[in-house]
Amino acid sequence: MATKEQILDGLKLVADPELGINLVDLGLIYDVSIDEQSIVVSMTLTTQGCPLHESMIEAVRHVVQMADLTKIVYVDLVWDPAWTPERMTVEGKRMLAER
Amino acid sequence: MVSKYFAASVASFVVLCGLLVLNYADIQGHHFQPKLLALTHVATLGWVTMIIFGAMFQLVPVVLEVKLFSARLGEVQFWLFLAGVVGLVYGFWTFNVGLHLAVSASVVTLSMFLFVTNMLLTMGTVSKWNLTGHFLLAALFYLAVTSVAGLLLSINLGFPFISQIHLDYLKIHAHLGFVGWVVMVIMGVGLKLFPMFGLSHGFSTVPARIAFVAVNVGLMGTTVEWLLTGPPWLLHLYIAILVGGILCFVVQLLLIFKHRLRRVLDLGMRHSAVAFGYLFVSTGLGAFIAFVNVGSKDSADAVVLLYGFVILIGFFSTLIVGQMYKIVPFLVWFHTFSDKVGKEPVPMLKDMFSEKIGNAQFLLLNFGLLCVFAGVLGSWNLLLLAGFAFLFTASLLFAFNIVTVLRLRFRYGNKRTDS
Repeated sequence: MATKEQILDGLKLVADPELGINLVDLGLIYDVSIDEQSIVVSMTLTTQGCPLHESMIEAVRHVVQMADLTKIVYVDLVWDPAWTPERMTVEGKRMLAER
Repeated sequence: MVSKYFAASVASFVVLCGLLVLNYADIQGHHFQPKLLALTHVATLGWVTMIIFGAMFQLVPVVLEVKLFSARLGEVQFWLFLAGVVGLVYGFWTFNVGLHLAVSASVVTLSMFLFVTNMLLTMGTVSKWNLTGHFLLAALFYLAVTSVAGLLLSINLGFPFISQIHLDYLKIHAHLGFVGWVVMVIMGVGLKLFPMFGLSHGFSTVPARIAFVAVNVGLMGTTVEWLLTGPPWLLHLYIAILVGGILCFVVQLLLIFKHRLRRVLDLGMRHSAVAFGYLFVSTGLGAFIAFVNVGSKDSADAVVLLYGFVILIGFFSTLIVGQMYKIVPFLVWFHTFSDKVGKEPVPMLKDMFSEKIGNAQFLLLNFGLLCVFAGVLGSWNLLLLAGFAFLFTASLLFAFNIVTVLRLRFRYGNKRTDS
Protein backbone atom coordinates (compact mmCIF):
# COMPACT_ATOMS: atom_id res chain seq x y z
CA MET A 1 0.00 0.00 0.00
CA ALA A 2 1.51 3.32 -1.10
CA THR A 3 1.74 6.26 1.28
CA LYS A 4 0.99 9.87 0.31
CA GLU A 5 4.74 10.60 0.33
CA GLN A 6 5.48 7.70 -2.01
CA ILE A 7 2.77 8.88 -4.40
CA LEU A 8 4.12 12.45 -4.37
CA ASP A 9 7.63 11.10 -5.02
CA GLY A 10 6.24 9.18 -8.01
CA LEU A 11 4.52 12.30 -9.33
CA LYS A 12 7.88 14.05 -9.45
CA LEU A 13 8.45 11.96 -12.58
CA VAL A 14 5.75 13.90 -14.42
CA ALA A 15 7.16 17.16 -15.76
CA ASP A 16 5.69 20.02 -17.76
CA PRO A 17 7.41 19.59 -21.16
CA GLU A 18 7.66 23.35 -21.70
CA LEU A 19 9.26 24.20 -18.36
CA GLY A 20 10.92 20.89 -17.52
CA ILE A 21 9.69 21.19 -13.93
CA ASN A 22 7.71 18.41 -12.27
CA LEU A 23 4.09 18.89 -11.17
CA VAL A 24 4.86 18.58 -7.45
CA ASP A 25 7.54 21.29 -7.41
CA LEU A 26 5.32 23.50 -9.61
CA GLY A 27 2.73 23.28 -6.82
CA LEU A 28 0.10 21.83 -9.15
CA ILE A 29 -0.78 18.86 -6.91
CA TYR A 30 -3.21 20.23 -4.34
CA ASP A 31 -3.97 17.08 -2.40
CA VAL A 32 -3.67 13.31 -2.36
CA SER A 33 -6.27 11.52 -0.25
CA ILE A 34 -6.16 7.79 0.31
CA ASP A 35 -8.88 5.53 1.70
CA GLU A 36 -9.35 1.78 1.66
CA GLN A 37 -10.60 1.58 -1.91
CA SER A 38 -9.40 4.61 -3.74
CA ILE A 39 -6.79 7.32 -4.20
CA VAL A 40 -8.00 10.78 -5.17
CA VAL A 41 -5.49 13.29 -6.55
CA SER A 42 -6.66 16.87 -6.66
CA MET A 43 -4.59 18.96 -9.06
CA THR A 44 -4.62 22.08 -11.23
CA LEU A 45 -2.65 23.58 -14.14
CA THR A 46 -0.96 26.96 -14.41
CA THR A 47 -3.40 28.25 -17.05
CA GLN A 48 -7.05 27.47 -17.61
CA GLY A 49 -7.54 26.16 -21.13
CA CYS A 50 -3.99 24.74 -21.15
CA PRO A 51 -3.82 22.25 -24.05
CA LEU A 52 -1.79 19.88 -21.88
CA HIS A 53 -4.53 19.04 -19.44
CA GLU A 54 -5.58 15.74 -21.01
CA SER A 55 -2.09 14.27 -21.12
CA MET A 56 -1.16 15.53 -17.65
CA ILE A 57 -4.25 13.95 -16.06
CA GLU A 58 -3.54 10.68 -17.86
CA ALA A 59 0.10 10.73 -16.76
CA VAL A 60 -0.83 11.43 -13.13
CA ARG A 61 -3.43 8.65 -13.16
CA HIS A 62 -0.89 6.21 -14.61
CA VAL A 63 1.89 7.05 -12.13
CA VAL A 64 -0.43 6.81 -9.12
CA GLN A 65 -1.90 3.54 -10.38
CA MET A 66 1.59 2.10 -10.75
CA ALA A 67 2.31 3.06 -7.14
CA ASP A 68 -0.73 1.15 -5.92
CA LEU A 69 -2.36 -1.39 -8.21
CA THR A 70 -5.01 -2.40 -5.67
CA LYS A 71 -6.98 0.85 -5.60
CA ILE A 72 -9.10 2.89 -7.98
CA VAL A 73 -7.41 6.16 -8.92
CA TYR A 74 -9.36 9.37 -9.49
CA VAL A 75 -7.79 12.59 -10.73
CA ASP A 76 -9.76 15.77 -10.08
CA LEU A 77 -8.71 18.77 -12.17
CA VAL A 78 -9.79 21.86 -10.22
CA TRP A 79 -9.57 25.57 -11.06
CA ASP A 80 -10.68 26.85 -7.69
CA PRO A 81 -8.51 27.83 -5.94
CA ALA A 82 -6.51 29.01 -8.94
CA TRP A 83 -2.80 28.24 -9.08
CA THR A 84 -0.51 31.02 -7.94
CA PRO A 85 3.29 31.16 -8.08
CA GLU A 86 3.42 31.05 -4.28
CA ARG A 87 2.38 27.41 -4.49
CA MET A 88 5.74 26.43 -6.03
CA THR A 89 8.27 24.73 -3.77
CA VAL A 90 11.66 26.31 -3.12
CA GLU A 91 13.14 23.78 -5.53
CA GLY A 92 10.50 24.66 -8.14
CA LYS A 93 11.28 28.36 -7.86
CA ARG A 94 14.98 27.64 -8.17
CA MET A 95 14.44 25.57 -11.32
CA LEU A 96 12.18 28.21 -12.85
CA ALA A 97 14.80 30.91 -12.33
CA GLU A 98 17.14 28.92 -14.60
CA ARG A 99 14.62 28.42 -17.41
CA MET B 1 -4.76 18.46 -41.19
CA VAL B 2 -3.01 21.20 -39.23
CA SER B 3 0.46 19.95 -40.16
CA LYS B 4 -0.36 20.49 -43.86
CA TYR B 5 -1.05 24.15 -43.19
CA PHE B 6 2.18 24.50 -41.21
CA ALA B 7 4.29 22.71 -43.83
CA ALA B 8 2.81 24.77 -46.71
CA SER B 9 3.37 27.94 -44.72
CA VAL B 10 7.03 27.24 -43.93
CA ALA B 11 7.59 26.28 -47.59
CA SER B 12 6.02 29.61 -48.63
CA PHE B 13 8.40 31.48 -46.34
CA VAL B 14 11.41 29.81 -47.95
CA VAL B 15 9.99 30.47 -51.44
CA LEU B 16 9.31 34.11 -50.50
CA CYS B 17 12.86 34.69 -49.28
CA GLY B 18 14.29 32.85 -52.31
CA LEU B 19 12.24 34.97 -54.72
CA LEU B 20 13.36 38.13 -52.92
CA VAL B 21 17.02 37.16 -53.49
CA LEU B 22 16.43 36.39 -57.17
CA ASN B 23 14.49 39.62 -57.78
CA TYR B 24 16.28 42.02 -55.45
CA ALA B 25 16.76 44.57 -58.23
CA ASP B 26 12.99 44.93 -58.73
CA ILE B 27 12.26 45.59 -55.05
CA GLN B 28 12.11 49.35 -55.07
CA GLY B 29 10.00 52.23 -56.28
CA HIS B 30 6.21 52.18 -56.07
CA HIS B 31 4.61 49.16 -54.44
CA PHE B 32 1.99 48.69 -57.18
CA GLN B 33 3.96 46.52 -59.62
CA PRO B 34 3.47 42.89 -60.67
CA LYS B 35 6.37 41.24 -58.84
CA LEU B 36 5.77 43.15 -55.61
CA LEU B 37 2.07 42.28 -55.72
CA ALA B 38 2.97 38.62 -56.26
CA LEU B 39 5.57 38.59 -53.46
CA THR B 40 3.24 40.41 -51.08
CA HIS B 41 0.61 37.71 -51.60
CA VAL B 42 3.15 34.89 -51.13
CA ALA B 43 3.87 36.55 -47.79
CA THR B 44 0.36 37.51 -46.68
CA LEU B 45 -1.51 34.45 -47.96
CA GLY B 46 1.00 31.62 -48.40
CA TRP B 47 3.04 32.36 -45.30
CA VAL B 48 1.08 34.44 -42.78
CA THR B 49 -2.58 33.54 -43.41
CA MET B 50 -1.76 29.87 -44.05
CA ILE B 51 -0.14 29.56 -40.63
CA ILE B 52 -2.93 31.48 -38.91
CA PHE B 53 -5.46 29.05 -40.39
CA GLY B 54 -3.48 26.08 -39.06
CA ALA B 55 -2.95 27.68 -35.66
CA MET B 56 -6.60 28.67 -35.28
CA PHE B 57 -7.85 25.17 -36.08
CA GLN B 58 -5.71 24.02 -33.19
CA LEU B 59 -6.14 26.90 -30.74
CA VAL B 60 -9.79 27.97 -31.04
CA PRO B 61 -11.20 24.69 -29.65
CA VAL B 62 -8.68 24.77 -26.77
CA VAL B 63 -9.01 28.44 -25.87
CA LEU B 64 -12.80 28.60 -26.18
CA GLU B 65 -13.36 25.04 -24.90
CA VAL B 66 -15.40 23.81 -27.86
CA LYS B 67 -15.09 21.13 -30.52
CA LEU B 68 -14.00 22.12 -34.05
CA PHE B 69 -17.08 22.05 -36.30
CA SER B 70 -15.43 20.15 -39.15
CA ALA B 71 -11.86 18.97 -39.74
CA ARG B 72 -12.96 17.70 -43.16
CA LEU B 73 -14.04 21.19 -44.20
CA GLY B 74 -10.62 22.38 -43.07
CA GLU B 75 -9.03 19.76 -45.33
CA VAL B 76 -11.08 20.86 -48.38
CA GLN B 77 -10.32 24.47 -47.56
CA PHE B 78 -6.58 23.77 -47.49
CA TRP B 79 -6.44 22.45 -51.05
CA LEU B 80 -8.70 25.20 -52.39
CA PHE B 81 -6.66 27.87 -50.62
CA LEU B 82 -3.34 26.43 -51.83
CA ALA B 83 -4.55 26.21 -55.43
CA GLY B 84 -6.06 29.70 -55.25
CA VAL B 85 -2.90 31.27 -53.82
CA VAL B 86 -0.63 29.61 -56.40
CA GLY B 87 -2.96 30.83 -59.17
CA LEU B 88 -3.20 34.33 -57.75
CA VAL B 89 0.56 34.72 -57.28
CA TYR B 90 1.25 33.41 -60.79
CA GLY B 91 -1.41 35.80 -62.13
CA PHE B 92 0.20 38.80 -60.44
CA TRP B 93 3.74 37.77 -61.40
CA THR B 94 2.89 37.45 -65.10
CA PHE B 95 0.28 40.21 -64.78
CA ASN B 96 -2.25 37.91 -66.38
CA VAL B 97 -5.06 40.08 -65.08
CA GLY B 98 -8.05 38.77 -67.01
CA LEU B 99 -10.06 35.66 -66.28
CA HIS B 100 -7.08 33.84 -64.71
CA LEU B 101 -6.70 36.35 -61.87
CA ALA B 102 -10.45 36.64 -61.31
CA VAL B 103 -10.88 32.86 -61.04
CA SER B 104 -7.86 32.47 -58.72
CA ALA B 105 -9.09 35.28 -56.47
CA SER B 106 -12.56 33.69 -56.41
CA VAL B 107 -11.07 30.37 -55.27
CA VAL B 108 -9.07 32.13 -52.53
CA THR B 109 -12.20 33.99 -51.39
CA LEU B 110 -14.27 30.81 -51.42
CA SER B 111 -11.67 29.01 -49.27
CA MET B 112 -11.61 31.92 -46.84
CA PHE B 113 -15.39 31.84 -46.53
CA LEU B 114 -15.19 28.11 -45.82
CA PHE B 115 -12.78 28.94 -43.01
CA VAL B 116 -14.97 31.72 -41.63
CA THR B 117 -18.04 29.44 -41.77
CA ASN B 118 -16.17 26.59 -40.06
CA MET B 119 -14.98 28.94 -37.31
CA LEU B 120 -18.36 30.62 -36.80
CA LEU B 121 -20.08 27.25 -36.49
CA THR B 122 -17.36 26.20 -34.03
CA MET B 123 -17.75 29.40 -32.02
CA GLY B 124 -21.53 29.08 -32.09
CA THR B 125 -21.29 26.50 -29.32
CA VAL B 126 -19.09 28.59 -26.99
CA SER B 127 -20.62 28.97 -23.55
CA LYS B 128 -17.90 31.05 -21.88
CA TRP B 129 -16.67 33.94 -24.05
CA ASN B 130 -13.40 35.63 -23.22
CA LEU B 131 -11.42 38.55 -24.62
CA THR B 132 -9.42 36.25 -26.92
CA GLY B 133 -12.71 35.05 -28.42
CA HIS B 134 -13.82 38.62 -29.09
CA PHE B 135 -10.55 39.43 -30.87
CA LEU B 136 -10.82 36.28 -33.00
CA LEU B 137 -14.45 36.94 -33.90
CA ALA B 138 -13.59 40.47 -35.02
CA ALA B 139 -10.62 39.08 -37.00
CA LEU B 140 -12.94 36.71 -38.88
CA PHE B 141 -15.14 39.64 -39.86
CA TYR B 142 -12.11 41.52 -41.24
CA LEU B 143 -10.87 38.40 -43.06
CA ALA B 144 -14.22 38.15 -44.87
CA VAL B 145 -14.22 41.85 -45.77
CA THR B 146 -10.53 41.78 -46.83
CA SER B 147 -11.08 38.79 -49.09
CA VAL B 148 -14.13 40.34 -50.79
CA ALA B 149 -12.24 43.62 -51.25
CA GLY B 150 -9.32 41.65 -52.72
CA LEU B 151 -11.62 39.77 -55.06
CA LEU B 152 -13.18 43.03 -56.33
CA LEU B 153 -9.71 44.54 -56.84
CA SER B 154 -8.52 41.48 -58.77
CA ILE B 155 -11.54 41.61 -61.05
CA ASN B 156 -11.13 45.37 -61.43
CA LEU B 157 -7.59 44.92 -62.79
CA GLY B 158 -8.89 42.95 -65.80
CA PHE B 159 -12.41 44.31 -66.07
CA PRO B 160 -12.39 47.86 -64.62
CA PHE B 161 -15.63 48.79 -62.86
CA ILE B 162 -14.55 50.60 -59.66
CA SER B 163 -14.95 54.34 -60.22
CA GLN B 164 -12.57 55.40 -57.43
CA ILE B 165 -8.82 55.18 -57.87
CA HIS B 166 -7.70 51.54 -57.67
CA LEU B 167 -4.83 52.40 -55.29
CA ASP B 168 -7.22 53.90 -52.72
CA TYR B 169 -9.06 50.59 -52.55
CA LEU B 170 -5.76 48.75 -52.38
CA LYS B 171 -4.86 50.78 -49.29
CA ILE B 172 -8.15 49.76 -47.65
CA HIS B 173 -7.70 46.10 -48.63
CA ALA B 174 -4.14 46.07 -47.23
CA HIS B 175 -5.02 47.67 -43.89
CA LEU B 176 -8.12 45.55 -43.34
CA GLY B 177 -5.91 42.53 -43.91
CA PHE B 178 -2.83 43.63 -41.95
CA VAL B 179 -4.54 45.22 -38.98
CA GLY B 180 -8.07 43.81 -39.00
CA TRP B 181 -7.19 40.21 -39.75
CA VAL B 182 -3.56 39.53 -38.78
CA VAL B 183 -2.94 42.01 -35.94
CA MET B 184 -6.36 41.23 -34.42
CA VAL B 185 -5.55 37.49 -34.39
CA ILE B 186 -2.11 38.20 -32.91
CA MET B 187 -3.67 40.30 -30.16
CA GLY B 188 -6.27 37.67 -29.28
CA VAL B 189 -3.99 34.66 -29.42
CA GLY B 190 -1.11 36.56 -27.79
CA LEU B 191 -3.28 37.38 -24.80
CA LYS B 192 -3.59 33.66 -24.15
CA LEU B 193 -0.19 32.36 -25.23
CA PHE B 194 2.27 34.93 -23.87
CA PRO B 195 1.10 34.66 -20.23
CA MET B 196 1.11 30.88 -20.62
CA PHE B 197 4.67 30.76 -22.02
CA GLY B 198 6.02 33.33 -19.56
CA LEU B 199 3.99 32.11 -16.57
CA SER B 200 2.56 35.60 -16.06
CA HIS B 201 -0.14 35.97 -13.44
CA GLY B 202 -2.02 38.80 -11.77
CA PHE B 203 -1.75 41.42 -14.54
CA SER B 204 -4.55 43.76 -15.61
CA THR B 205 -6.16 43.27 -19.04
CA VAL B 206 -7.54 46.81 -19.20
CA PRO B 207 -5.03 47.92 -21.89
CA ALA B 208 -6.09 44.99 -24.11
CA ARG B 209 -9.77 45.89 -23.65
CA ILE B 210 -9.07 49.50 -24.63
CA ALA B 211 -6.99 48.23 -27.57
CA PHE B 212 -9.90 46.07 -28.75
CA VAL B 213 -12.32 49.00 -28.86
CA ALA B 214 -9.80 51.54 -30.20
CA VAL B 215 -8.42 49.33 -32.99
CA ASN B 216 -11.94 48.43 -34.15
CA VAL B 217 -13.24 52.01 -34.02
CA GLY B 218 -10.04 53.38 -35.58
CA LEU B 219 -9.91 50.82 -38.38
CA MET B 220 -13.60 51.02 -39.27
CA GLY B 221 -13.51 54.83 -39.15
CA THR B 222 -10.35 55.00 -41.27
CA THR B 223 -11.88 52.61 -43.83
CA VAL B 224 -15.09 54.64 -44.09
CA GLU B 225 -13.17 57.91 -44.42
CA TRP B 226 -10.94 56.44 -47.14
CA LEU B 227 -14.03 55.25 -48.98
CA LEU B 228 -16.06 58.44 -48.67
CA THR B 229 -13.15 60.93 -48.65
CA GLY B 230 -14.54 62.98 -45.77
CA PRO B 231 -12.78 65.89 -44.02
CA PRO B 232 -9.06 65.20 -43.42
CA TRP B 233 -9.29 65.97 -39.67
CA LEU B 234 -11.78 63.12 -39.22
CA LEU B 235 -9.52 60.66 -41.05
CA HIS B 236 -6.59 61.80 -38.91
CA LEU B 237 -8.67 61.35 -35.76
CA TYR B 238 -9.52 57.76 -36.69
CA ILE B 239 -5.91 56.98 -37.59
CA ALA B 240 -4.82 58.44 -34.24
CA ILE B 241 -7.37 56.22 -32.44
CA LEU B 242 -6.07 53.20 -34.37
CA VAL B 243 -2.43 53.98 -33.54
CA GLY B 244 -3.44 54.58 -29.91
CA GLY B 245 -5.16 51.19 -29.83
CA ILE B 246 -2.08 49.37 -31.11
CA LEU B 247 0.10 51.19 -28.59
CA CYS B 248 -2.32 50.12 -25.84
CA PHE B 249 -1.72 46.54 -26.90
CA VAL B 250 2.04 47.09 -26.71
CA VAL B 251 1.46 48.37 -23.14
CA GLN B 252 -0.52 45.17 -22.44
CA LEU B 253 2.40 43.08 -23.66
CA LEU B 254 4.81 45.02 -21.47
CA LEU B 255 2.52 44.30 -18.48
CA ILE B 256 2.48 40.58 -19.28
CA PHE B 257 6.25 40.70 -19.76
CA LYS B 258 6.76 42.50 -16.43
CA HIS B 259 4.63 39.97 -14.54
CA ARG B 260 6.32 36.90 -15.99
CA LEU B 261 7.87 34.40 -13.60
CA ARG B 262 9.96 32.82 -16.29
CA ARG B 263 12.71 35.39 -16.53
CA VAL B 264 14.91 33.74 -19.17
CA LEU B 265 13.73 34.45 -22.73
CA ASP B 266 14.00 31.27 -24.77
CA LEU B 267 14.42 31.22 -28.54
CA GLY B 268 10.70 31.54 -29.28
CA MET B 269 10.11 34.38 -26.84
CA ARG B 270 13.25 36.23 -27.96
CA HIS B 271 11.85 36.26 -31.51
CA SER B 272 8.50 37.46 -30.18
CA ALA B 273 10.01 40.28 -28.10
CA VAL B 274 11.96 41.60 -31.10
CA ALA B 275 8.86 41.21 -33.31
CA PHE B 276 6.89 43.54 -31.07
CA GLY B 277 9.71 46.04 -31.41
CA TYR B 278 9.06 45.89 -35.16
CA LEU B 279 5.32 46.37 -34.49
CA PHE B 280 6.19 49.54 -32.58
CA VAL B 281 8.37 50.78 -35.46
CA SER B 282 5.78 49.92 -38.13
CA THR B 283 3.04 51.70 -36.16
CA GLY B 284 5.27 54.77 -35.98
CA LEU B 285 5.95 54.53 -39.73
CA GLY B 286 2.22 54.20 -40.47
CA ALA B 287 1.51 57.33 -38.42
CA PHE B 288 4.40 59.11 -40.15
CA ILE B 289 2.99 58.28 -43.60
CA ALA B 290 -0.49 59.44 -42.53
CA PHE B 291 0.52 62.71 -40.87
CA VAL B 292 3.75 63.87 -42.53
CA ASN B 293 4.14 65.00 -46.12
CA VAL B 294 7.56 63.76 -47.21
CA GLY B 295 7.61 65.89 -50.35
CA SER B 296 9.56 63.96 -52.96
CA LYS B 297 7.71 61.06 -54.60
CA ASP B 298 10.75 58.76 -54.47
CA SER B 299 11.14 59.25 -50.73
CA ALA B 300 7.41 58.71 -50.17
CA ASP B 301 7.53 55.46 -52.19
CA ALA B 302 10.56 54.27 -50.22
CA VAL B 303 8.88 54.97 -46.87
CA VAL B 304 5.72 53.09 -47.92
CA LEU B 305 7.84 50.15 -49.09
CA LEU B 306 9.79 50.21 -45.82
CA TYR B 307 6.48 50.25 -43.91
CA GLY B 308 5.41 47.11 -45.79
CA PHE B 309 8.70 45.32 -45.09
CA VAL B 310 8.73 46.24 -41.39
CA ILE B 311 5.18 44.90 -40.96
CA LEU B 312 5.38 41.84 -43.16
CA ILE B 313 8.89 40.50 -42.66
CA GLY B 314 9.82 42.40 -39.51
CA PHE B 315 6.74 42.04 -37.33
CA PHE B 316 4.66 39.19 -38.79
CA SER B 317 7.50 36.91 -39.88
CA THR B 318 9.69 37.28 -36.79
CA LEU B 319 6.68 36.69 -34.56
CA ILE B 320 5.52 33.65 -36.53
CA VAL B 321 9.00 32.11 -36.58
CA GLY B 322 9.21 32.58 -32.81
CA GLN B 323 5.78 31.16 -32.11
CA MET B 324 6.46 28.18 -34.40
CA TYR B 325 9.39 27.29 -32.13
CA LYS B 326 6.82 27.03 -29.32
CA ILE B 327 3.77 25.58 -31.07
CA VAL B 328 5.19 22.98 -33.51
CA PRO B 329 7.31 21.15 -30.90
CA PHE B 330 4.33 21.17 -28.54
CA LEU B 331 1.95 19.71 -31.13
CA VAL B 332 4.41 17.02 -32.17
CA TRP B 333 5.16 16.27 -28.51
CA PHE B 334 1.46 16.06 -27.73
CA HIS B 335 0.71 13.66 -30.58
CA THR B 336 3.86 11.58 -30.13
CA PHE B 337 4.93 11.55 -26.49
CA SER B 338 2.00 12.66 -24.31
CA ASP B 339 0.83 9.10 -23.68
CA LYS B 340 4.34 8.13 -22.59
CA VAL B 341 4.63 10.70 -19.79
CA GLY B 342 5.32 9.03 -16.46
CA LYS B 343 5.88 5.69 -18.21
CA GLU B 344 9.17 6.31 -19.99
CA PRO B 345 11.56 9.25 -20.52
CA VAL B 346 10.13 11.88 -22.86
CA PRO B 347 11.97 14.86 -24.35
CA MET B 348 11.43 18.45 -23.28
CA LEU B 349 10.12 20.73 -26.02
CA LYS B 350 13.40 22.63 -26.33
CA ASP B 351 15.28 19.36 -26.94
CA MET B 352 13.27 18.65 -30.08
CA PHE B 353 15.23 21.05 -32.33
CA SER B 354 18.70 22.52 -32.47
CA GLU B 355 18.92 25.65 -30.35
CA LYS B 356 22.33 26.44 -31.87
CA ILE B 357 20.84 26.56 -35.37
CA GLY B 358 17.89 28.53 -34.01
CA ASN B 359 20.23 31.11 -32.45
CA ALA B 360 22.17 31.49 -35.70
CA GLN B 361 18.89 31.85 -37.60
CA PHE B 362 17.69 34.51 -35.14
CA LEU B 363 20.82 36.59 -35.75
CA LEU B 364 20.70 36.11 -39.54
CA LEU B 365 17.00 37.01 -39.70
CA ASN B 366 17.43 40.24 -37.77
CA PHE B 367 20.70 41.24 -39.40
CA GLY B 368 19.10 40.55 -42.80
CA LEU B 369 16.10 42.67 -41.85
CA LEU B 370 18.27 45.63 -40.87
CA CYS B 371 20.13 45.37 -44.20
CA VAL B 372 16.81 45.23 -46.08
CA PHE B 373 15.38 48.23 -44.21
CA ALA B 374 18.49 50.30 -44.94
CA GLY B 375 18.60 49.06 -48.54
CA VAL B 376 14.96 50.04 -49.14
CA LEU B 377 15.38 53.49 -47.59
CA GLY B 378 18.58 54.28 -49.45
CA SER B 379 17.74 52.33 -52.65
CA TRP B 380 21.03 50.45 -52.25
CA ASN B 381 20.69 47.34 -54.37
CA LEU B 382 23.73 45.51 -53.03
CA LEU B 383 22.61 45.96 -49.46
CA LEU B 384 19.17 44.67 -50.45
CA LEU B 385 20.76 41.63 -52.06
CA ALA B 386 22.86 40.95 -48.96
CA GLY B 387 19.83 41.42 -46.71
CA PHE B 388 17.66 39.05 -48.75
CA ALA B 389 20.49 36.49 -48.85
CA PHE B 390 20.66 36.58 -45.02
CA LEU B 391 16.87 36.23 -44.84
CA PHE B 392 16.91 33.30 -47.25
CA THR B 393 19.63 31.54 -45.24
CA ALA B 394 17.62 32.19 -42.07
CA SER B 395 14.48 30.76 -43.70
CA LEU B 396 16.38 27.58 -44.64
CA LEU B 397 17.72 27.16 -41.09
CA PHE B 398 14.23 27.73 -39.70
CA ALA B 399 12.75 25.19 -42.12
CA PHE B 400 15.49 22.72 -41.14
CA ASN B 401 14.58 23.05 -37.46
CA ILE B 402 10.85 22.67 -38.12
CA VAL B 403 11.45 19.60 -40.31
CA THR B 404 13.65 18.18 -37.53
CA VAL B 405 10.70 18.49 -35.14
CA LEU B 406 8.17 17.07 -37.62
CA ARG B 407 10.41 14.08 -38.33
CA LEU B 408 10.12 13.00 -34.68
CA ARG B 409 6.47 12.35 -35.34
CA PHE B 410 7.28 9.93 -38.13
CA ARG B 411 10.15 8.33 -36.24
CA TYR B 412 8.10 7.59 -33.13
CA GLY B 413 4.74 7.15 -34.81
CA ASN B 414 1.37 8.75 -34.21
CA LYS B 415 -0.70 8.20 -31.14
CA ARG B 416 -3.64 10.29 -32.27
CA THR B 417 -5.26 10.84 -35.62
CA ASP B 418 -7.24 13.99 -34.85
CA SER B 419 -4.76 16.40 -36.37
